[in-house]
Amino acid sequence: MGMAVAAGQAVHPGPLFGAVFDPDPEVPNEQVAQILRDLFGDRPIRRGQVMLDMPVVAEDGRVVPVIIEAPELPMTAGNYVKAVHLIVDHNPDPHLAAFEVTPAMGKLSLQFRIKMKRTTWVRAIVETNTGEVWADYARVNVSLNGCG
Amino acid sequence: MTIGEARIRVPARIQKGDIIAVSAIVQHPMDTGFFRSADGQPIPAYFIKDVTVTYSGREVAHFTWTSGISRDPVVTFTLVADREGPLTMRWVDNKGAVFEQTAQIAFSTT
Repeated sequence: MGMAVAAGQAVHPGPLFGAVFDPDPEVPNEQVAQILRDLFGDRPIRRGQVMLDMPVVAEDGRVVPVIIEAPELPMTAGNYVKAVHLIVDHNPDPHLAAFEVTPAMGKLSLQFRIKMKRTTWVRAIVETNTGEVWADYARVNVSLNGCG
Repeated sequence: MTIGEARIRVPARIQKGDIIAVSAIVQHPMDTGFFRSADGQPIPAYFIKDVTVTYSGREVAHFTWTSGISRDPVVTFTLVADREGPLTMRWVDNKGAVFEQTAQIAFSTT
C-alpha cells in the first residue's frame, strides 16, 4: 500500500520538492487551522475575489515580494474590505502580517516583501465589513532560508 | 543607514479624486531573533510591529507586522486623493521607538 502511494505521487509532474507534505491548501496544518479559527471563527473561507501574486521560486527567502489585490471587491462606505491577513504556513510565526484598511483607500492593492523559511503555502485572506471571508493561496518554493 | 529614516513617495501630479499609489520605506533591521552574530551571540528580535497611516487627520489604515516582514520594510498601498492635506505614516518598533514621515497631498492646477 505504502509503495503504491509513493509510486502514484512519483508520476505527478507537480511543483518542486516539498509539495508532498501539504499538497492541499484547503487542509491547513493544526497551527494554521487554529490561527484561522481565531480570526474567522467557523465562517467559511472561500477561494476567490482576492488575488495573491508571489514568485513560484524564491531564491532568497529573506526578500520575497508579495502583491495582494481584490479589484472586484467594493471599497465604498457601506461595503468594503476591512482587513487583509497574510499567513505563511511553515514560517516560525505564520500569521506574518495584518492590514486593516478602509474605503479611503479606494481599492484593495497592497505590495510588500516578506521572509520565508522554506517551501510552503502562503495565504492571503481578506475579510469584508459584512463578514465575508475570501482567500487566495500561492505555493512558493524557497531556496535560501530567510528566517534563521 | 539610520534606523527609522523613512521616505514616502506619492505621484508628482494628482487630480482631485484620483486613486493614487503611495509607497513608503523605513530603515529598520527587522531582526527575527533567530539569527546569531558572527561571534555566536544571539541577535534579539527587533522589528517594526505597528504602522499607522493618517490622511488629513483621519486614520485610513493600520498595519500589524511581525519580524517576518523583510529588512527595511517597504509597503505600497492606494489612497483616494479627495482632499489636500498631509499624509502621515507612523512606524512603531517592538522597543517602543516611534518613527514618522509626512508627504503632502496637493492637487495639480493644470
